[in-house]
Amino acid sequence: MRVLVAEDETLIRLDLTGMLQSAGFEVCAEARDGVEAVELARSELPDLAVLDVKMPRLDGIESARRILDERPIPIVIVSAYTETSLVERAAEAGVFGYLSKPFREEDLLPAIATARARFGQLAAVRDQVETLAEALAARKVIERAKGILMEKDGLTEDAAFGRLRKASQTSGRPLRVIAEAVVATMG
Amino acid sequence: MNVLIAEDETIIRLDLKGLLEKNGFRVCGEARNGAEAVELARTCEPDVALLDLRMPVVDGAEAARRIYAERPIPIVMLTAFSDRANVEKAIAAGVFTYLTKPFRETDLVPAIRLAVARHTELLAARRTIGKTPPPARIEIRLPSHSGHHWPLRVQRTADGSVGVVLDGETA
Repeated sequence: MRVLVAEDETLIRLDLTGMLQSAGFEVCAEARDGVEAVELARSELPDLAVLDVKMPRLDGIESARRILDERPIPIVIVSAYTETSLVERAAEAGVFGYLSKPFREEDLLPAIATARARFGQLAAVRDQVETLAEALAARKVIERAKGILMEKDGLTEDAAFGRLRKASQTSGRPLRVIAEAVVATMG
Repeated sequence: MNVLIAEDETIIRLDLKGLLEKNGFRVCGEARNGAEAVELARTCEPDVALLDLRMPVVDGAEAARRIYAERPIPIVMLTAFSDRANVEKAIAAGVFTYLTKPFRETDLVPAIRLAVARHTELLAARRTIGKTPPPARIEIRLPSHSGHHWPLRVQRTADGSVGVVLDGETA
């Protein structure tokens, strides 16, 4: 489990890093501001991020939003500030945990464990949504290509599908790609 | 927002109730053990539940599992024990987040807000799946006397209709 830590105060950053390392995490990147956090998330591909809220250049919540836009990972925010507006922004940004400073090891570790578990659950459901959406899109373009072949070449539905399937088998390309080509050239 | 709380220690329960009400939440039920929590979750229409892990009759993890099976709401676990085994137990029971006692108001409110936000996303994604008929296709190969294998396809298309096709070609 590789963790990105972003915290502008060196002492707190060292403390956080120490806590994570003694719990068996690998701290793969340490950022001193929000911009660095976004860049390090991009280059180091961490599995999880712990971000401070108040940081120079870019705050932790905005950097969380940018990291999540590029590559969703579980994020826990740590903050000395717990105003409602900050918490609401964190909730909207998609973070999974919000801890107020000073936090203890027994606050941080369960927050990370639950963030990981619930993030994994949400990611799995979202993957399934994506797979279904893709299958649905493929099905739609295949139906359309079939319709075009039936109309332009006077084929029955089975013959039209047979032709698409044969083209897919001979070319070794997915049925969807063949169907898209038919729609693009004949539709 | 309706919150169900379950905590066997009266003082902590009252404290929790006060904190929640001060922060604009409505406490719709107060349970003193896990069994009561399960009962109250059926009647008081909570949007979120805060459960203590160690409670008489039915513990918090088991109560979380039963509540979630009947009414999918985010559950926040409160406990004095944050050892790995207890955290894993809570996670397995579907608990959304975990607060270690003595917890602070500054951790409680964000934990509830975030649990509700992320759980809403999870439910929305699940609803999308529920509404999308999976295009399924089953292919059965029928051997014939001539030695050919005739594929018989049963497929459900994107519009939800089911078609059976005996394909003329061997694959």
